[in-house]
Amino acid sequence: MLSAALPTTGAFVREHLRAPLTLALLVAIPTFFVLIFASVLGDFAEALGGTLMSQSATAISAGWAAAFLSGTLAFFQVSSSRGADRRLAAAGLGPWRVAAARIAAALAIGITVSGVAFLTLWLRSGIGHPLHAAVAILSFAVIYIGLGALIGAFVKGALEGSLLVLLLFSVDAFTSPEMTSSSVFAWTPTRSAAEVLIAAGGGHGSPSADWLGMAAVPVGSLAVALAAFWTAARARS
Amino acid sequence: MTALARTRVATGMAFRDQVRRPLVLILIVVVPAYVITRSVAETLATPRRIGLPDGVYVTATMQELHGAGMGGVVVAFVAALLGVFVMQSALEGDRRLIVAGFHPGETVLARLLVLLSGTALVVAVSAVVTALNFDAASWAPLIASLLLLGLIYAAIGALAGALLDKLAATYLMLFLVMTDIGVVQTPMFHETPGRLAVLLPGYGPSRVMYDGAFSSTFHASAELLLSLAWTAALAVALVILLRRAVGDRG
Repeated sequence: MLSAALPTTGAFVREHLRAPLTLALLVAIPTFFVLIFASVLGDFAEALGGTLMSQSATAISAGWAAAFLSGTLAFFQVSSSRGADRRLAAAGLGPWRVAAARIAAALAIGITVSGVAFLTLWLRSGIGHPLHAAVAILSFAVIYIGLGALIGAFVKGALEGSLLVLLLFSVDAFTSPEMTSSSVFAWTPTRSAAEVLIAAGGGHGSPSADWLGMAAVPVGSLAVALAAFWTAARARS
Repeated sequence: MTALARTRVATGMAFRDQVRRPLVLILIVVVPAYVITRSVAETLATPRRIGLPDGVYVTATMQELHGAGMGGVVVAFVAALLGVFVMQSALEGDRRLIVAGFHPGETVLARLLVLLSGTALVVAVSAVVTALNFDAASWAPLIASLLLLGLIYAAIGALAGALLDKLAATYLMLFLVMTDIGVVQTPMFHETPGRLAVLLPGYGPSRVMYDGAFSSTFHASAELLLSLAWTAALAVALVILLRRAVGDRG
């Protein structure tokens, strides 16, 4: 299975990166996102009644950058590749291997984006717990790969899908821990990852409940993404 | 078939293309309603001194700043995405109309009418939701600024949709709007916009928007003219590019 899926994964990655500007944006956006938003997120959190301090604000901006880029990518992967994926599956690769290759491609790009965001964060303001922060930023990316793929499985149109990813991102931004004093919608999929990332940015460790939450949600997200990619690739009778 | 009849047919088809996807209409209502209402509800009434055009300073609250400005952010986001994907649809589908005998100008007009209608809808929804959450000192400039932001970003989105693939265009639009309207122009983070803020397309409409929100006297004539100049320049660029793109591919 691996020998067949690996070249396909490479082809899927190249499919998205064949436009040089897309590659440039995947590097530039996390960098600028962290640099620009880090300086204002503390004020934003204060306005919302939260307690996010400057260094923690810088950290959460890296998670959001990774999330937003990965979610949008996963949505477009599912919504715009249905026909090609079905033909690939019917030609002998099978829907599971197509789905695995799609997930691997999304993860490869997600890891790249997370790596850029992490490096920018580290160089700009230092990180108290770099390993914690790296895992948390990657969790943001993986969670949004699942959410983007899920939206792509149900929504075919690019406009409505990207608006849904934007709506989801807005809900997350307004509900992030320590960004708000409100308890309405207190749980979102990235909440545990945000808790760990904020703590890591401020140089603190995190309780095991946050680590468990942060491990469980990305695993669930990957399962959702696998189901979404499989559904998109399987033949219609 | 006359030119007018062909334009009618193309316009009817372009609108039917949108109506077949009711989720777009639902989201054009839900996204502004949620984001504006939630942002105002979440924000504390912390005092903040801000600078309006003509060197006028007023003291508002962070909550009022969200009430005044979040409509502009949402309008720009949604209009930019509308621009990207209406343009992508035009490039995918309209060349068939050209082959069938339609003139590029007729299909361009049809797509521009769809883009204008979508932009007008998101501006109307944002204005109504803003009015439910915030009491502006002067509504006319505020609504005009929402419309200008929508038109400017719809045109930029359409240009990006013509020149880039959909993933790159979406990334670019969301990042540009977030940076321009959400960070650089907002008085939530700076008393007045920085020196280079004037170079970005959101400068003029944002200054008009905050002037209307917090002053009953209009001080933003220069900023209004700058906004109109951006709108006109982008509209001309869009028509030229769209005619060329649709015609060439035909």
